[in-house]
Amino acid sequence: MHIPDGFLSPQTFLPAAALAVPAWMYAVRRVAAQLDEQTIPRLAVLTALAFVLTTVMIPLPGGTSGHLLGVGLLALAFGIWPAFLAYSLVLLLQALLFGAGGITSLPVNALIMGLLGAALAVGLHGLLRRWHAATAQVVAVWLSVLLSATAMALVLGAQPLLATDDAGRPLFFPFTAAVTVPAIVLPHLLIGLGEGLLTWMILRMAGPRRSGAMP
Amino acid sequence: MSPRFWLAAYLLAVVAVSFLHEPLWLAIILLAVLLAAGRLAPRLLWRALLAVLLVNLMVSGGYVALSLWQGNPWALTVIRLNLRVLLLTVLTLWLAARIDLVRALSVGPASRFLAVVAINQILLMRRLVQDYRHAFRSRSVQPPRLRDHYRSAARQGVVLMDKAQAQAESLSQGMRSRGVFDDRP
Repeated sequence: MHIPDGFLSPQTFLPAAALAVPAWMYAVRRVAAQLDEQTIPRLAVLTALAFVLTTVMIPLPGGTSGHLLGVGLLALAFGIWPAFLAYSLVLLLQALLFGAGGITSLPVNALIMGLLGAALAVGLHGLLRRWHAATAQVVAVWLSVLLSATAMALVLGAQPLLATDDAGRPLFFPFTAAVTVPAIVLPHLLIGLGEGLLTWMILRMAGPRRSGAMP
Repeated sequence: MSPRFWLAAYLLAVVAVSFLHEPLWLAIILLAVLLAAGRLAPRLLWRALLAVLLVNLMVSGGYVALSLWQGNPWALTVIRLNLRVLLLTVLTLWLAARIDLVRALSVGPASRFLAVVAINQILLMRRLVQDYRHAFRSRSVQPPRLRDHYRSAARQGVVLMDKAQAQAESLSQGMRSRGVFDDRP
């Protein structure tokens, strides 16, 4: 779901970077404060886990598939800040090693998917778990994916309004929210549900064996 | 020059490219970057094209179709968008090919450990997931049902989480036994 390089205007990615940098610094402090000398290897392994989780395919009806975002799972298992930090590192490695995503879009991708996605998953799960634990996991992850996708669609859809040439033609991503919202959000209704179900299955299977959570 | 210098130059270049909107300039810079890359140029261009092809085809195709339907001009926007995306991707891949990213990203021994361990663990875990996929396919005599796909994907997730926890512990112990943390305050 992440936005590639070249689709976002400087009017978007520069303020996003100004927000993301303090968020990353705070996340580093939070994660370092929770841990001792094991911070480095654990964060490294968590980053690798976040990276590889994005390669786990979500089966969809009709024989198609999407891929796991993994932020909801990481956030429910390890907390908001480790999930945000690990996912940001994943985006950085993907951009620099594989040319996927991008450096200019990194702050927006990290804030929307890493921070907003993780915070929504944990927040919604906290609200819903008294009602029914398993359903809370599915619904929290589903809604976090859906709302992150909506935010992503709105940011992309804002580009033709933020940056145009003298003739009014878009300088960056050319579609408005009228196109991006249905194009991005509708498929994520199903992908998010698949991710919610998969997250619940993984946490249910892993739950009895995991005596102590990582960070 | 140091890897960090090239990383800083790259970051400045990607921001500068975002302020350029004239397709001719974007094309000239792309050509200059490819010429500067020398023998790497064909491979860089091919990898960049592969990386951006799917998304850019969908976006450009959609925009052309919408513009034709509405009777609006589309060529300048599509050429500008694709040149910019291609240039940024070529720049990124050139940087990755030219410098040691681990050294460039290191602001100290801790971040160097982090990058090295993360990249190695990614390679190990990717192999594990591939093994699971091959095993799932080889065990399935008939086409698997949706439920089977979900069970297999969930098993992959559980194994990855278990592996991550075990690896984190063993790496911490290994690093501690080699005195990595001894000089930390």
